[in-house]
Amino acid sequence: MMEARRQIYLPVTLSLLGAMLLGAAWQPHDPHAVDLNNVLSAPSLTHWLGTDHLGRDVASRILAGAQPSLSAIAIVIVSSIGLGLAAGMAIGFGPPALSRFMRWLAETALALPTLIMALLLAALFGAGLLAISAALVVSTWAPYALSISALLERLRGEQYWNATLALGSSVTGAVRRHILPNAWPTIGALAGADAGRAVILVASLGFLGLSADTGRPEWGAMVHEYRMFLFSEPRLVLAPVLATAMAAFMLNRTLDRG
Amino acid sequence: MTWLAAARMVVMALVSWLAAVAVSFMLIRLVPGDPVDIFVNRMNVNASEELLAAYRRAWGLEHSLIEQFLIWLRGFVTLNWGVSFVTGGEVSNELAPRLAWSAAIGFGGMIAALLCGTLLGFRAALHPGGLADGLSRSMAVAGQALPAFAVGLVALWLFAAELRWLLPFSGGAVERLILPIALVAFFSVGSVSRLVRAGFAETAAAPFMRTALAKGLSRKTALWRHGRRQAAIVLVAGIAPDLAWIVGGTAIAEIVFGIPGLSERVVEAVSSRDYPVLQSYVALVALWIILGLHLCALLRRTLDPRHGALPLRVQ
Repeated sequence: MMEARRQIYLPVTLSLLGAMLLGAAWQPHDPHAVDLNNVLSAPSLTHWLGTDHLGRDVASRILAGAQPSLSAIAIVIVSSIGLGLAAGMAIGFGPPALSRFMRWLAETALALPTLIMALLLAALFGAGLLAISAALVVSTWAPYALSISALLERLRGEQYWNATLALGSSVTGAVRRHILPNAWPTIGALAGADAGRAVILVASLGFLGLSADTGRPEWGAMVHEYRMFLFSEPRLVLAPVLATAMAAFMLNRTLDRG
Repeated sequence: MTWLAAARMVVMALVSWLAAVAVSFMLIRLVPGDPVDIFVNRMNVNASEELLAAYRRAWGLEHSLIEQFLIWLRGFVTLNWGVSFVTGGEVSNELAPRLAWSAAIGFGGMIAALLCGTLLGFRAALHPGGLADGLSRSMAVAGQALPAFAVGLVALWLFAAELRWLLPFSGGAVERLILPIALVAFFSVGSVSRLVRAGFAETAAAPFMRTALAKGLSRKTALWRHGRRQAAIVLVAGIAPDLAWIVGGTAIAEIVFGIPGLSERVVEAVSSRDYPVLQSYVALVALWIILGLHLCALLRRTLDPRHGALPLRVQ
């Protein structure tokens, strides 16, 4: 059942990511082009999702809006896997005091409210990609660290692990050979959830009116801008809402083992 | 639990709160940019040196960082939360009525999630693979994978615009609170129900369940009577991420449904770098999360006679 589900989700998510990349690079119309003669037009062949209150092409803005999410996903996954691996090693191999401290830190990080961290960091460093990524990384490294250290604990009892070390392999070599291959499924599931969370957080901050660059299209910022049209032109709000929900949901589900 | 252990716990909670508040205080103060300069720039006036110095004195910025922190801390404890850099009003006066709205949504959402989640999780454990089990699983997935503002806006559009069941912006307090509370609860019900289900499942598989059934108890009664303690233990052990969610979820719900709670003011404070407001908000959030975590630990110790540490559930 797990395999079957993965077979359904993986191609869909890969094409979704492909579409996001493509959309970030190319749009049918200029997403910034204002056309006051053609405001709030209904979807048509030229304007797939119609136009907004300034006559801008909504479909183009949705496509261009993929870019901030993609950047956040890339930054968050790379840095939280890196930090998580390092911290997991510190818990597993470090001196007892360091190990205990890192474990405490990881368990504390799990209880941090990400959105509030992002708000605080946005106040300090400006509402940019830096604040969003930092807020995410602060809490997302912890599950990696805890699962890596749990894996280390389990491997410690395995004979092949001790044999590798006894044969003179360095710890880093042994980690690369034996721990990383074992850790990939867990890391993959966490990374999928984090990618989904990155999309959600970028959009949530934008929705709160704290987007990185108010000029550039971003899904959450679009919802913020269009929310007064929720009752009269729901299409304007539902398009970025569904884009965010779909991207976050698919990314979250693909790599999950559950 | 002995009195000594209880005292230790209180001290630990206090130390954690102080650490969280001190770190955020220092972070906020160490960022480049003098709040007085920022304030004066926003006012678009050419301020004299004396005026700047007067502001610095009024805001207590002439003291060292440590002194500033101690002054702030004494003020916070005595409910004197300082003066907003932007509006000039007392922060405690500004935040108190807002806190009431936020607390209503946060606590309401949490209680609703606990009630519905426990009910759903129990039904799911009673009939594994059944309808309730599937619903609980889907809710857990939705709670993790969907953006809250998206669900909130779709609900607003559906219930207020299409079906016209509610008037979320103009109704009375109760009517205005229904959707925000439901939104906060929606994102917690799934994880609560999974935890409760896991707790009951342990009991369902235990050998003494057969004895209980042989005595003539129904499966439902037997599972509830013998499993509820274990379910509660698993629940309090795994609830930490939801404590954090309640804060973020309340913020989103307030903005979506236009509730004049803390978040509206905090978002404003973020864009205008109104540090006293942010500082008070961070202190309140830290207080909630740390109290929550320690209360959970306390409950776990009371419920679990083994005093054993359960593994932290990482989703």
